[in-house]
Amino acid sequence: MSNRYSNRFAQLEKQGRKAFIPFTMLGWPNRKSCLATVATMIDSGVSALELGMAFSDPVADGPVIQRAASETIASGFTVADAFDLLKEIRSIDQDIPIGLLVYYNMVLRYGITDFFTQAHNCGVDGILIADLPPEAASETYPAARAAAVESIFIVSPLTLPDRLDTIAKYAGGFLYAVSRLGTTGVEERYDRELEALISRVKATSTLPVCVGFGISTAKQAQQMFALGADGAITGSKIVDLVRNTPEHLLTTCLQEYLTTMVRCTYMTSPAAQA
Amino acid sequence: MKSTGFFGGFGGVYVPETLMPALEELEEAFLQAKEDSVFLAKYNDLLHNYAGRPTPLYRAANLSQRWGANIWLKREDLLHGGAHKTNNALGQALLARAMGKTRLIAETGAGQHGVAAAMSGALLGIKTEVYMGEVDMLRQQPNVLRMRLLGAEVHPVTTGGRTLKEAINEALRDWVSSVRTTHYMLGTAAGPHPFPAMVKFFQQIIGCEAREQFSQRCACLPDYVLACIGGGSNAVGIFSGFFNDPQVKLIGVEPAGKGLETEHHGAVLQKGSPGCLHGMKSLLLQDGDGQVLETYSIAAGLDYPSVGPEHAYLQSTGQASYVAATDSEAIGAYVELSRSEGIIPALESAHALAYAKRLSSCAGHGKHILINLSGRGDKDLQQVIDNVQPL
Ligand SMILES: Cc1ncc(COP(=O)(O)O)c(C=O)c1O
Repeated sequence: MSNRYSNRFAQLEKQGRKAFIPFTMLGWPNRKSCLATVATMIDSGVSALELGMAFSDPVADGPVIQRAASETIASGFTVADAFDLLKEIRSIDQDIPIGLLVYYNMVLRYGITDFFTQAHNCGVDGILIADLPPEAASETYPAARAAAVESIFIVSPLTLPDRLDTIAKYAGGFLYAVSRLGTTGVEERYDRELEALISRVKATSTLPVCVGFGISTAKQAQQMFALGADGAITGSKIVDLVRNTPEHLLTTCLQEYLTTMVRCTYMTSPAAQA
Repeated sequence: MKSTGFFGGFGGVYVPETLMPALEELEEAFLQAKEDSVFLAKYNDLLHNYAGRPTPLYRAANLSQRWGANIWLKREDLLHGGAHKTNNALGQALLARAMGKTRLIAETGAGQHGVAAAMSGALLGIKTEVYMGEVDMLRQQPNVLRMRLLGAEVHPVTTGGRTLKEAINEALRDWVSSVRTTHYMLGTAAGPHPFPAMVKFFQQIIGCEAREQFSQRCACLPDYVLACIGGGSNAVGIFSGFFNDPQVKLIGVEPAGKGLETEHHGAVLQKGSPGCLHGMKSLLLQDGDGQVLETYSIAAGLDYPSVGPEHAYLQSTGQASYVAATDSEAIGAYVELSRSEGIIPALESAHALAYAKRLSSCAGHGKHILINLSGRGDKDLQQVIDNVQPL
């Protein structure tokens, strides 16, 4: 396995910090701007990257990411282009963990072994297949292992201990806990059982738990840390920012946002709350 | 789950983690219900006294004379609601009630499943919401009005091609958010396990009745059994009655739209490749990157880029074969059945009829062709009159 996730989480722990993991869509709104966005993320000191490949029918995504996906496909940006871009992103930073978010059909079409091998060659450390539950993980796990790519899994407030055990058998990198039942999106609506979920996961697995869906502010991220999460993941908020900020202001604006999020991961510093 | 629901290499359960517990619960409830005499008695009572089963098997004498073969119609168009969809909707609504769900959601293409869901919701007092692509709402407007009259809320879907595929996407997204209280009543024998097995269970009454009716009338079995293929529920329903009769040829008819040589069709079994969409592995119309392609058919209920996994399997084993009929053949059959028998078929079902006509001319005299007339065609009247065939 690649050690980037374990190294990074160990390092964060030593610093008494939590992880902040931003998401964006590979190739959106175009290759150049996407690369600039990711470079800004890295410059701002984010803990890891979560990068999506556009799929035509993303049933786990809300309107913001859906729209980015359909625009990316319409622009002609292909899977090969996405791998190529990943390689370039890896060349900017040798240490940052890179997670790839995909839907299963794209993996099947590429060929499971080839997909994981190519992902590894492009510097990917973990792959989350949004519509591949642990029941089907045996289909991809051997290829993931052989390519030294971690299999990242989602756990939801409805995931009970027996399912957690199955998930823990395959999971690597970190566990992606969804804050609520639903699709990706910015609206804040955390599930009443989120805290119980985090405790359940902590009791089952030694992997870090990062919470995503509906987290867009430092305050929300810190709420998650207070519930026991090891990290916070932000997606739709960033896509929103990129879409709605005039181009000449984008880098500054992103930098400001990402820096605030990174600062809030220093739990020990009350100043981070600012 | 108790089983992963594979038909050979097709089927399975490929959904976001959040939906897995609901599918486990549904599988459990379904496995119990199908052995539960009280549940089955209630279901059969509704099929008989509410929905009007058994439906007739009708020998279309005039068509037989015109086409040469003996044409038999299994009259699912006469089922309450106007299509076979009622068989499944009633079953799933009873299951939803047994599971204590307080809300039903459904997708619909032609609007027939939406109507069946709305009827079942009204009957059992369960709030019902239906997702329907904007394109389909326009072309199947009478069914939109019926759903609303029946008390269901119809949500227009505005993404992508705005047809059945997108309606299923939206229903799945709703379900991910509402899964604690809501049952997703999928309308065809597709999607993640247990839906393909469950919808087949509720639709196999068609084949069961048809086989018995036919053998009583003719003291033999049909030579061919034909059904149109959208997701595959009316087809698997009638085919399943003949799975143990290898001499009966089972033929599914897909939408060839503007022609299989064009990009405007929905002939998944003939033109698709293995893939994974809407929770199942099946055949799929897709590009080289695995992006799902837009399909086309004049029949909203057939306009779908994948197909129920059992059909992909039946094709791979040769137990069933799959052909296609174009829009214009289907319209021809729509008008011909109306004029020769006084029966207006759904445009979906008209695809099966259109192929029966072609088959009659080569199968030879005296052959028996049984067609699942899956629905009635009032919903398509405006579309046929406006776009194609000034009457
Ligand atoms: C009358 C009728 N026949 C057939 C179909 C196609 O569905 P399936 O293949 O599941 O029977 C539909 C779907 O809407 C329909 O309304």
